[in-house]
Amino acid sequence: MTDDLITTDHPLNADQQAVLTALLDTLIPPSDDGLMPGAGSLDLVRHLREGGDNNEEMLVGLVDQFDAAFSTFDADARESAVQAFSTSQPELFEWLLMNTYMMYYKTDQVLEGIGMSAGPPFPRGNTIIDGDISSLDRVVERGKSYRPA
Amino acid sequence: MEDDPVDVLIIGAGASGAAVAWSLAETRMRIVCFEQGDWMNPSEYPSNQSNWESQSYGPYAINPNTRGRDTDYPINNEDSAVDVVNFNGVGGGTIMYAAHFPRLHPSDFRVKSLDGVADDWPISYDDLEPYFVQNDRMMGVSGLAGDPMYPPKQPPLPPIPLGLVGETVARGYDKLGWHWWPSDSAILSRPYEGRDECKNLSPCMTGCAQGAKASTDITYWPEAIRAGVELRTRHRVREITVNDDGMADGVIYYDEEGTERFQKAEVVILASNGVGTPRILLNSKSSQFPDGLANSSGLVGKNLMFHPIGFVQGVFEERLDSHKGPAGCCILSKEFYETDESRGFVRGYNMQITRGSGPLTTAAAGYRAGLIPWGRGHHEAFRKRFDHVAGIGVLCEDLPEEHNCVTLDPELVDSDGIPAPKISYTLSENSIRMLNHGLDRAEEVMEAAGAVEITRSGQLRESGWHLLGTARMGDDPETSVVNSWGRSHDVKNLFIVDGSVFVTSGGVNPTSTIQAIALHVADTMKKNLANLFD
Repeated sequence: MTDDLITTDHPLNADQQAVLTALLDTLIPPSDDGLMPGAGSLDLVRHLREGGDNNEEMLVGLVDQFDAAFSTFDADARESAVQAFSTSQPELFEWLLMNTYMMYYKTDQVLEGIGMSAGPPFPRGNTIIDGDISSLDRVVERGKSYRPA
Repeated sequence: MEDDPVDVLIIGAGASGAAVAWSLAETRMRIVCFEQGDWMNPSEYPSNQSNWESQSYGPYAINPNTRGRDTDYPINNEDSAVDVVNFNGVGGGTIMYAAHFPRLHPSDFRVKSLDGVADDWPISYDDLEPYFVQNDRMMGVSGLAGDPMYPPKQPPLPPIPLGLVGETVARGYDKLGWHWWPSDSAILSRPYEGRDECKNLSPCMTGCAQGAKASTDITYWPEAIRAGVELRTRHRVREITVNDDGMADGVIYYDEEGTERFQKAEVVILASNGVGTPRILLNSKSSQFPDGLANSSGLVGKNLMFHPIGFVQGVFEERLDSHKGPAGCCILSKEFYETDESRGFVRGYNMQITRGSGPLTTAAAGYRAGLIPWGRGHHEAFRKRFDHVAGIGVLCEDLPEEHNCVTLDPELVDSDGIPAPKISYTLSENSIRMLNHGLDRAEEVMEAAGAVEITRSGQLRESGWHLLGTARMGDDPETSVVNSWGRSHDVKNLFIVDGSVFVTSGGVNPTSTIQAIALHVADTMKKNLANLFD
């Protein structure tokens, strides 16, 4: 059985998916300390679908603008290719980058990696210190400071 | 189609509409409020969901042109240095505001007498003081008494936590010997009137999921409705109509299905903000009022004031937990609030200390500012800034100028075909000097506080939160639109209670003062019911 016989609603074939994974890992690579995943390990298509973004055709067209061997390039060559793309197609690049950031920075593993708690803010909430207001004595000592009217 | 007549029709269910409705409810008149938006459901606010931050770039964007809900109307900002930001729904702008809740100062009502610019208000701080107190109680304001920059006042709740951000920036002010004080915030620091204290979620400006932030859908409106006021959503007013005597007699509006209807009313109160109110008045043309209703002075839509705003951000080596806590409420400084002409400008500004952003906005804004790259340097640059920043917003007094205005766009219309507003606005030389002075001082504060990196952003484009001055109050019908209690000089049963009536802008967030004015107008109406139209 070959890939051609598998029915799927994924807009990218296997080669295109490899390019997209490399592309996303170029935008946000895994961190050296292993705490942060590369963006390529996350599912951009799913993110777009969850957000109601119907630009899958645009994504396919974007991926097809990269060399089919892009995923085999070294990091310098990938960055050069993406840099060139960002200059030649700034709006398309901006769309990809912002969606990559939106996908990445809502992921629990990422949030925990940057010191946040996983999941949405509510109902979890956060604790912060009250803070020291003792130096307000200095302000109060200035006396009435508003302008009479 | 014509509806049953009502005694009082309020247009807009936001900050001022809610306050005036609640206050008038005790009269037992038949009071109805038309709101073009919907009731909000806090369980649907973004902070309930993992993609909470990205929703602020879409369905919860502050800019109605970006948000594009069918309850919004488009605004042409092409001739403006500032984009209008707002929200249309029950609660209005209070759904998305930061809830920073300072009052105007006494001097703000006397700028002509004190500084020889603009005009004095026909009312004073003392006139509004009891309504500030009443409003603080209704909204649930947290703060600290004793600020020497104000006449004595006692917020009903203690201040919200400074957090590491407030404590760190306060050290900078202390080193410089400058004023700072915990902000008055319309956010609960303690449980209050059935609402829980703030859990420091952070994304206040996409709606407060827990109800600690005071939006009028959860403060004034439940009480007003219990007292008999009727609130009808998805009712969009096109124009106010007049009878042969030149009195307002109702409104033409569109219901949820887009059907044109007529609502008869004895009294009409506009509470549609400093852009929406002049839009309705200018759309209300008739043979008696060919230039728009209540516009014999020619000032409807003129003198639009926003508050020029710029930001300075400091990056600190230590972690400040910047993403935690109310984003726009922390501490403030009034060191440069009052006029000192040696600075090269008149009037002054407020310094509003802000906490940091969530991770998405940190990354996106950092990219656009050239501070956080994509690629191999991303994580290092991101970690250096995320949760390590504090901000100072410099919010300047904006003096009235007639060329800054709201007009009707000749082509742009909303989904009901009603002509949309067009904004024309430039910053004055005085504002530019003031803003630059404030940004310089904010940098000094950050340096004194120990910031290792400081960046500044000049006038922000998407910063038109404060919509003021477009139907100013005054004693002279030739130089003002309404009198000292919000009644139109031209149409005796037409009142305005929103930010349109501001004579000058002051240098602080205006919601507290807008609501105090609405309560003042309502109270004066109640005292004059027997001769309301004399």
